[in-house]
Amino acid sequence: MKTYIKTITCKLILRVLYRALKVLAYKDSRIRHEFGSFREGFTIRITLSEQGEGVIMRKERGKLVMISEVEGEDLELRFKSIDSAFLVFTGMMGISRAYAEHRISVKGDIGDTMTLVRIIDIAEAYLFPRIMTRRILRSVPMKERSTISVYRMVLLGF
Amino acid sequence: MFVPPYFEFVNSAKLLAGEYALENIPSEMRLLGSSRPMILSDSTLEKIGTVSVLIQALSKGGMKPSAVYTDIPLDSSIEKVNEISAIYRENNADGIIAIGGGSVIDTAKGLKMLISQGGRDIMNYVGSEMLGRGQSVPFTAIPTTSGTGSEATGVAVIKDGERKVKLEFISSFLLPDIAVLDVRALESMPARITALTGLDALTHAIEAYSCLQKNPISQCYALSAIKLIVENLEEAIRKPKDKKARISMAIASYIAGAAFSNSMVGIVHAIGHSVGGVCSVAHGEAMTILLPVCMRYNLGFADDDYADLLLYLSDAETYASTEKTRRAEKAVEVVENFISRIKAAAPIATNLSERGVRRSDFEQIAIRAMNDGALIVNPRSADKDDILKILEKAF
Repeated sequence: MKTYIKTITCKLILRVLYRALKVLAYKDSRIRHEFGSFREGFTIRITLSEQGEGVIMRKERGKLVMISEVEGEDLELRFKSIDSAFLVFTGMMGISRAYAEHRISVKGDIGDTMTLVRIIDIAEAYLFPRIMTRRILRSVPMKERSTISVYRMVLLGF
Repeated sequence: MFVPPYFEFVNSAKLLAGEYALENIPSEMRLLGSSRPMILSDSTLEKIGTVSVLIQALSKGGMKPSAVYTDIPLDSSIEKVNEISAIYRENNADGIIAIGGGSVIDTAKGLKMLISQGGRDIMNYVGSEMLGRGQSVPFTAIPTTSGTGSEATGVAVIKDGERKVKLEFISSFLLPDIAVLDVRALESMPARITALTGLDALTHAIEAYSCLQKNPISQCYALSAIKLIVENLEEAIRKPKDKKARISMAIASYIAGAAFSNSMVGIVHAIGHSVGGVCSVAHGEAMTILLPVCMRYNLGFADDDYADLLLYLSDAETYASTEKTRRAEKAVEVVENFISRIKAAAPIATNLSERGVRRSDFEQIAIRAMNDGALIVNPRSADKDDILKILEKAF
């Protein structure tokens, strides 16, 4: 597959992931709990490749918001290549496995990284079908809401 | 043997092991461009003369250290690294020789990080695989215990005294250029420390063999380490002057370090780090207590790997006479028996209550363990309840 198609796909799915995290930070008790451990103003950058494309999220007044730029983020997960990002964002590989295979560089505290990884693992259980999550997660988290209701809130906002 | 779809392996340190290894340091350091290295160590090693042995060996090769710093505490700290970097610069040093246990070597890694990056505060480099090579800082590590394997790893754990947390720095550029294993640096180790550090090395090897980052190279390293430990640890405890046993354990520790630096360690370390952090239990002791319990927790998820290990933990007869489906469990039993034999030779604890851990500490230990990077690569996932159950079994 061409690199630009992979890049567009990853950017799109990363946006969906961001919106899912925003929704689930309210609607899933485990993500709400994990998200609560980040201090107010905590910034997370997820970068799709060394070229620097990605998203920056910040915890503001208890909510997750997307911001356009930040200097000195608290935590950055940077995929070493767009191909590695593609494996993760299309559900072919879990974020834990990607970390284990050195496909991600981390800037910031490893404890915060573990919190984010647990959050993404739970979000993936909602976003990907069980046939995929069974393969990429060591244990598939129970869903507290239906996938359809989460997708409705992610895509339609209600 | 397991071949992952993708893996990375790095072990760039040159190893000098055996007789007169210390005397070869000046020559090797000069080849790397260092003629005025700074020596880092701790006050105990200075008191018992180990640092003097090193300085004499350097002097035979016409090398005089630019500075000697021996005030490194048991837990290396960011403040200490920043302080030492100022001394390094004041003395115009051009390399580092660290002689000591894990804390001294981790401090040296922190110093190398600061000097090579030209920075003033290592907090800027917290993370994994973000650090560039930077300016060359020739770095020799000489372990005085046989367990941490820090001389073969690209990991430094350094305490942030202000926030009271331990921070991890992970980069292949933290690896020493030279690792030196010399019996003279190891012979002062008392029986208890020999036992605990040896069992720490065994834990490194077993976890490296079975964790998610395992690969054919790291697994070869892990198997060799296990064989050396099983053959030599009891001997090193009972006959501390036995040079062959001592150097074999040092080699085992180095190999296990190289294995886990690439394969990572798993749940034993995730919980063990937290037990150490919350209850001040020595790292090797936490490993000793948790290893068999965590191996039992992993049964059903790491059986093929544990079955392989049986051959190296025991012998060919035991392996052949054990039914294939029973080999993983038998490997755990062999580890339990091995720890019991070590306990008969040295005063070590085999459960948490013996070291003053209270049930009321469990909650805090479990919460900390959940945030430990080692948990992510364990073959079986674990949540807080799983960790609490493991702690109860280890109590």
